[in-house]
Amino acid sequence: MSGAASFLALAGRRIAASLLLLVGASFLIYFTIRSAPGDAVDAITPMGTPPEIKEKLAAEFGLDQGVLGGYGVWLSRSATGDFGESLVFAPGQTVMEVAGPAFEKTLLLSGGALFATVVLSILLALFLGEPSARQQGLTGALYFITSAPGFVSAVVFSAAVNAGVQRFVEQAGHETPAWYPIPIYSDSIVPYFFAGFVLVMGDGLLMDTFNAVRAEILGVRGAQFIAAVRARGASVTPHLWLNLAIPIFSAFVSRLPVVLGGVVIVEYVFTLDGAGYLLLEASKQRDFPVVVGLSVLFTLAVIVVGLLSDVARSVIDQREVARDG
Amino acid sequence: MTVKWSDLGLRLSGAVVVAVMVVGLVALVIPYDPADAVSYDTLLNPPSAAHWLGTDGQGRDVLMRLVKGTEAFFLPGLMGGLIAVVLGGLAGAYTGYAAGPLRSALVGLLQLVDTLPRLVFIILLCTIRNPSIPLIAVVAGLLFVPTVATVVRRKVEALASEDYILAHIAHGFTPARILLHHILWLQCWPLLVRQAAFVFGYVLFVETGLSYLGDYGVQEPDPSWGNMVAQVKDLAGAGAWPWLAPAVAIVVTIASFLAFGNLVARKGEEALR
Repeated sequence: MSGAASFLALAGRRIAASLLLLVGASFLIYFTIRSAPGDAVDAITPMGTPPEIKEKLAAEFGLDQGVLGGYGVWLSRSATGDFGESLVFAPGQTVMEVAGPAFEKTLLLSGGALFATVVLSILLALFLGEPSARQQGLTGALYFITSAPGFVSAVVFSAAVNAGVQRFVEQAGHETPAWYPIPIYSDSIVPYFFAGFVLVMGDGLLMDTFNAVRAEILGVRGAQFIAAVRARGASVTPHLWLNLAIPIFSAFVSRLPVVLGGVVIVEYVFTLDGAGYLLLEASKQRDFPVVVGLSVLFTLAVIVVGLLSDVARSVIDQREVARDG
Repeated sequence: MTVKWSDLGLRLSGAVVVAVMVVGLVALVIPYDPADAVSYDTLLNPPSAAHWLGTDGQGRDVLMRLVKGTEAFFLPGLMGGLIAVVLGGLAGAYTGYAAGPLRSALVGLLQLVDTLPRLVFIILLCTIRNPSIPLIAVVAGLLFVPTVATVVRRKVEALASEDYILAHIAHGFTPARILLHHILWLQCWPLLVRQAAFVFGYVLFVETGLSYLGDYGVQEPDPSWGNMVAQVKDLAGAGAWPWLAPAVAIVVTIASFLAFGNLVARKGEEALR
């Protein structure tokens, strides 16, 4: 089989496996819904929901049928992006109308924070080089600071910024910024940068990425082919980065699910109208279709990221195709 | 005499782990009535000899609430860690050693569970069932089974063709004995310690996170480090100690458990080589 055909076959197999995973994961989500105690419709609707809305919800989620039959009904609707209508958060709007834009913001925030983490990890790895006893104090301190849960980092960071802004405004007599005090709902983009900073510095993400990136850089630097390039008097830099592209890309995508988990509470602390904030608000208000729709979207994101990682690795590294094909 | 950083880290993190365990056990037996603890004579007192970590917005002793707050995650954390390590260890050992359709089905199931975004799934569960912290810990433990199973499976696959394992097979040892005793117990314990410590830290993160949010975790007036941190919303800069002390406790505990797990595992792996 030619290289292109092998690659297409591999990509096809990975896509089919990802679709199977999505069907399986969606069944687990649906099964969780059906495990609600007592009457499932009562369990998933807010108090005082009119009977006609309950009936509509039962039909949409297939709650009036057996588990497998109901799953079939729900899956056939969900597969077309129809997760029903929001009950409380934005009544009358479809879940996708509410969740879609919020999810875009969350992906942008998570992707941006992760990109910054990877860049920072590369810079830190280049600056520190080989691990040494002298560095252990610094890396230990960084490890300690960055292992704080995102919401704790966010709370401490917000309190520090609020205190700093208050002092600055009092002393310099400037107007208070639109985003002050944190958390406050505003159109400003500044809280997104704050949230991004907290995501980079919280949940152990930075040091985990740094350790992975440094190990890869040191591994490639110490490889025999790099010594050969050096012996020929050629520039090592292009070879180094070309060979680091796969592991660094892999470090990026494999950590996206971690960031997507952390972003949920961080968005809530900073009152950013992303998918995390929406998920928690919808959960508190028992807006069940929105919660389920977002759960599926988050799961889909994790699966798509895994698929992209696999396929991209195969594009860059033909050995993957040969191994698989 | 010089002390290596890793040894110092192990001692410091080990001291915190032991302290959390002791405080967690003590918290289970000391009486505390959150309603009785309210005192309008001692509102927001700074740290002093009478109140080492000060008092909060309702005059309650912060140190006492910090100690009682360990109850919320101590046993659930141990339970979550135990579930992840036992089930993940067994699943990893089986999938690394066996072959056939049952193994393939188990690998598929583990992949499926691993796909679920953990916190999002826990929030979905909270929306449906309004579960207790112990149930959330059980679910967190189950959600970590694939992670533990994957690292154990890799180790078992690497060990399965080692000479001494082949010698055990030649001696007629049963596969169960080889897997459970010679591979899982004697060779994989460093991995399992690391994973157990990690899951404990994750349960602490989830419990404090949900309690901070206020609707699903431990509810006021019962203490949790998470709902103590949440006081930052009400105090508006009036005093930092009621929320800063639990915030520092969360960071120190999670960092110590992760560091302790990693350092013990590293020492164990060095000893096994």
